[in-house]
Amino acid sequence: MSVLRMILKGGELMPKLNIPPPHGGELVNRVIEKRDYAESMAAGAIEFDLKPTTLPDGTPIRHVYREIMSVCYGFFSPVEGSMTSADLEGVLKERRLENGWVFPYPILLDVSDEDLKALDVKEGDRLLLKLKGQPFAVMDVEEIYKINPEEVATRTFGTPEDNPEVVREPFNEKHPGYMIYKMMNSNVIAGKWTIINPPKFREPYDRFWLPPAECRTVIKYVKKWRTCIAHQTRNVPHTGHEALMKNAAYTGDIEPCHGILVNAIIGAKRRGDYPNEAILEGHEAVNKYGYIKPSRHMVTFTLWDMRYGNPIESLLHGIIRQNMGCTHHMFGRDHAAVGEYYDKYATQILWSKGIPSFGFEAPPNEVEKGLKIIPQNMAEFWYCPVCGEIAYSENCGHVDKKQKFSGSFLRGMVAEGVMPPKVVMRPEVYKAIVKWWKVFNYPFVNKKYLENLNANLEVNLEPMEIPKA
Amino acid sequence: MVHYIGVILDESRYEQIKGTPIEEKVQSIFGGALKMLVVEVPEDKSEQILKAFDRARIDSRGFIEDVPVAFRRAVFEEIVKNKSLDIIDKVLERLPEIQELAKKEDEYIPPPEIE
Ligand SMILES: [Zn+2]
Repeated sequence: MSVLRMILKGGELMPKLNIPPPHGGELVNRVIEKRDYAESMAAGAIEFDLKPTTLPDGTPIRHVYREIMSVCYGFFSPVEGSMTSADLEGVLKERRLENGWVFPYPILLDVSDEDLKALDVKEGDRLLLKLKGQPFAVMDVEEIYKINPEEVATRTFGTPEDNPEVVREPFNEKHPGYMIYKMMNSNVIAGKWTIINPPKFREPYDRFWLPPAECRTVIKYVKKWRTCIAHQTRNVPHTGHEALMKNAAYTGDIEPCHGILVNAIIGAKRRGDYPNEAILEGHEAVNKYGYIKPSRHMVTFTLWDMRYGNPIESLLHGIIRQNMGCTHHMFGRDHAAVGEYYDKYATQILWSKGIPSFGFEAPPNEVEKGLKIIPQNMAEFWYCPVCGEIAYSENCGHVDKKQKFSGSFLRGMVAEGVMPPKVVMRPEVYKAIVKWWKVFNYPFVNKKYLENLNANLEVNLEPMEIPKA
Repeated sequence: MVHYIGVILDESRYEQIKGTPIEEKVQSIFGGALKMLVVEVPEDKSEQILKAFDRARIDSRGFIEDVPVAFRRAVFEEIVKNKSLDIIDKVLERLPEIQELAKKEDEYIPPPEIE
């Protein structure tokens, strides 16, 4: 790189940034579109119908199909399938795969004793994984091993004793991510996944589906962004989110980030959440109606049943968005958090100095085989009546006058049929909520929405006949 | 610790408390874009509310949120009836009735007529 293209910063030459390489060096792409190749891969394989992970009362909390999609389309690169026992141990012990690359969560195809017995499968066999009654993916079995799901759950998120830097309370059955692991079956079938019947996303998901390879191409050649900051969401945006996006994007290198990539996490829902459809179209309204120009703002999503792992989740977010082509990632207070299990600033602690007990003596972007994406740790935004604007907490000195944004306060307003004032929510964003409210007869996720989502998922699969071996 | 319930006042609600002693307790937020009454709830009573509604929670501002619309309506009705903000006991007396109404809310909330 030419010295002219560098700027002097902190005594070091700092180059202009460019899209970082995928995590692990290469994007995983394990999707076969051509029917005849797909059929030949599946011929003679042992069939297995994928099932959701459920709570004791039967409520689905995870569907492994979402993980298969995210792995095969490269969102989770370099992970290529259900983890071996060596990968799992590395992840639980120090958030590293066996090959040394940082990865935060166990990715597992777990099956019950009953199913394993019925499958009668052994290492070296090929499985045909079926979804909604249709062939979906194949996997070559590398290893079959036992786990203790409760132990996996505890070690995934940490404990106050083992991780005193950031864990404040022991994880329990009230934590949705902990329950995802705790409720897993105790047999794991490990092996690489290949999708042979690419599912088709329903409206409006299809418009926002942009897997990493294509996302990188769009960023580079369509949007022409050299730098891009990622925004994590599972919410309809209020103006506090918008202020966060706009202000965080002022970071960059010699100029603010060229682009803002909104990436919604789409997966298992809970009653009271906004519907996925409203979340995606609510964010889209921010660019469609010019609050952040479409040339600078783009909305996408990743399939994943959120684990609410705060610092652990932030690692996955960093990996996903680096794979999608982002240079930066914004992290706020209580990032991907629920309850008081972690320190409010756990994610920011991880990305500013590391958390040794989780395997990070230094921040994840400063360790070997770590991430290349740059964190932008942000404090809070609130409305200040004295400043007369949405103010950044580190600027505004009128702390006793602050009016905080509260997602639940806004939900209450919406439920009562009060249109939020535009200083809190853009009217077009609210209209996106109302559009889907009319479709579902309800502004939020309720029992009916859940039943429908759990039965139909986000996709449809075309019928596919597999030739007999 | 004291918690709070915020009652949003739209035009019609504001009309109902105009001229009463409550009017001067109206708070204006977000640069005057929204009017609100704030009811204080002692901790033991907020616990009772959290127990009555499974999704109810205390947000980062100390407000009790994610309660059914029927509950908020009852809070406002009691404010109007008693011309006071000291009404949480009266609301709690109506809990069984509110819980019954809240059940129906899980199925259907009429969408607002916009556009
Ligand atoms: Zn201020």
